[in-house]
Amino acid sequence: MRSRAVRLLVPVIGILAVFALWDLLVRAFDVRPSTVPPPGDVLRAIADDRDVLSDRTRTTLTEAVVGFTLGSAIGFVLAVLMSRWPLVRRLLYPVLIASQAIPPPAMAAPLVIVLGFGLAPKIAVIALWVFFPVVVNVLDGLASVDRDLLNLARIMNGRRLRVFALIELPATLTPLFSALKLGAAYSVTGAVIGEALASLTPGLGNYLGIKNSQLDTDAVYAAVLLLTAIGLGGFLLMSLLERLATPWRTRTRARRWPRPSRTSPSAVEVSEDVSVGDRGGDR
Amino acid sequence: MAGASKLVVDRVTCRFGETLALSEASLEVGAGEFVSIVGPSGCGKSTLFNVVSGLLSPTSGRVSIDGRDITGSTGHVGYMFQKDLLVPWRTVVGNIVLGAALTRGVTDRDLAEARELGTRYGLGGFLDHYPHALSGGMRQRVALMRTLAMHEDVLLLDEPFGALDSQTRLEMQRWLLEVWGELERTVLFVTHDVDEAVFLADRVAVMTPRPGRFAAEIPVPIPRPRDLSTLTDPAFVERKRSVLDLLYGAAA
Repeated sequence: MRSRAVRLLVPVIGILAVFALWDLLVRAFDVRPSTVPPPGDVLRAIADDRDVLSDRTRTTLTEAVVGFTLGSAIGFVLAVLMSRWPLVRRLLYPVLIASQAIPPPAMAAPLVIVLGFGLAPKIAVIALWVFFPVVVNVLDGLASVDRDLLNLARIMNGRRLRVFALIELPATLTPLFSALKLGAAYSVTGAVIGEALASLTPGLGNYLGIKNSQLDTDAVYAAVLLLTAIGLGGFLLMSLLERLATPWRTRTRARRWPRPSRTSPSAVEVSEDVSVGDRGGDR
Repeated sequence: MAGASKLVVDRVTCRFGETLALSEASLEVGAGEFVSIVGPSGCGKSTLFNVVSGLLSPTSGRVSIDGRDITGSTGHVGYMFQKDLLVPWRTVVGNIVLGAALTRGVTDRDLAEARELGTRYGLGGFLDHYPHALSGGMRQRVALMRTLAMHEDVLLLDEPFGALDSQTRLEMQRWLLEVWGELERTVLFVTHDVDEAVFLADRVAVMTPRPGRFAAEIPVPIPRPRDLSTLTDPAFVERKRSVLDLLYGAAA
């Protein structure tokens, strides 16, 4: 348990060190607070304007979560369809690549014209940005399944849906989560780009823009810090989900959930597994 | 050959464009018999297995089990590859019951049987492990248990120990004989290793390349159970010599 605590502590120390270094450099070189404020001032700026900031953060978070979820889901479904039917793949691939060639800021303007000044155009920008790595990675995952394993499934008379669910789908999880971790960071960027446009639902990007024009450096950094926190939080959440969804990558043996139909020898193994389970993950 | 034929391969021919992979290959295997198939690379062993397993429909000829024509249809034999093909996200037990999971769904009985099989044949401490935590030999044991758990009478083993080091391979051969002796399945065993072919089998079928067909059969009437001493037994050496002669010509 102790080594686990240490493992979790180290990244926190890393982040604190960045703050310490930031503070140190600002003081050592006597940087003007209007150029780079010390971290203490930025945290104070967050506390001072917390009502407005929590509202802006909520808006940006909503856009990011909805856009990310929508983009990932669409990307996943497209990848499955494209892997199942080569015709769909040949039809869609050029369109998908073209969609990525459009710079997102250029895309944002027409989206506002079509979708209005609410959350919708921001969500669309994020979704359009997030879905592409998901499509590419899930396609890779589906293509990585050993042909012989699929042949074995055929020899076993495996049903198509079961083969998909038990053999092909889990093969996409690792590449999928790589894309989702990227996507978590992209969705914050996407939100800020979307919010650079006129908006009736201001988020952190709008806040940043306004404060920048007012030369309120503390507030600008406050917005940047909160945006970073959202991206980081999304990334961490995806990493955690990845660990839970792909236990075979980090564990030696499976967690065994007690089942009522099992007999007593298994029950002994379950309790044993609880005590050794966490250490199994350290392999 | 004991009893009626379990598996009959009747004049199977396979043509891929210009290439004739199999030409009227015929083989009969009795119930509970262990037949090794040896032959140089490209003699069509894999094609033969693909036909028997139903993955491939032959150009002509037929395959039957217990007199029933199964040509070109899957789901009648257990198949084990040289690659263990364990599913990384399924535990040892999860891999053993894969056949049930992909067809009708896993029942408590399947799980109990998988645990029993695994425990009986040396996987006891590893039933809930993921495959990545196992050695190559262990992984092949799981692959064979998975093949057995499909409850097919006929097993096709395609160089199952080809990727193992020689010490592990010998250990696995003896283990396979033990399992086979207790479970009475009919086995077709493809290998490049003449020692392995003779050591395991009741009969060694020798194939010739391009076009692939069965050239000869060498019976191996060495009593069972066989063990390490079998490998230096004059009867063993004599059969091995016959097989080598057929493969490489009498000069060898």
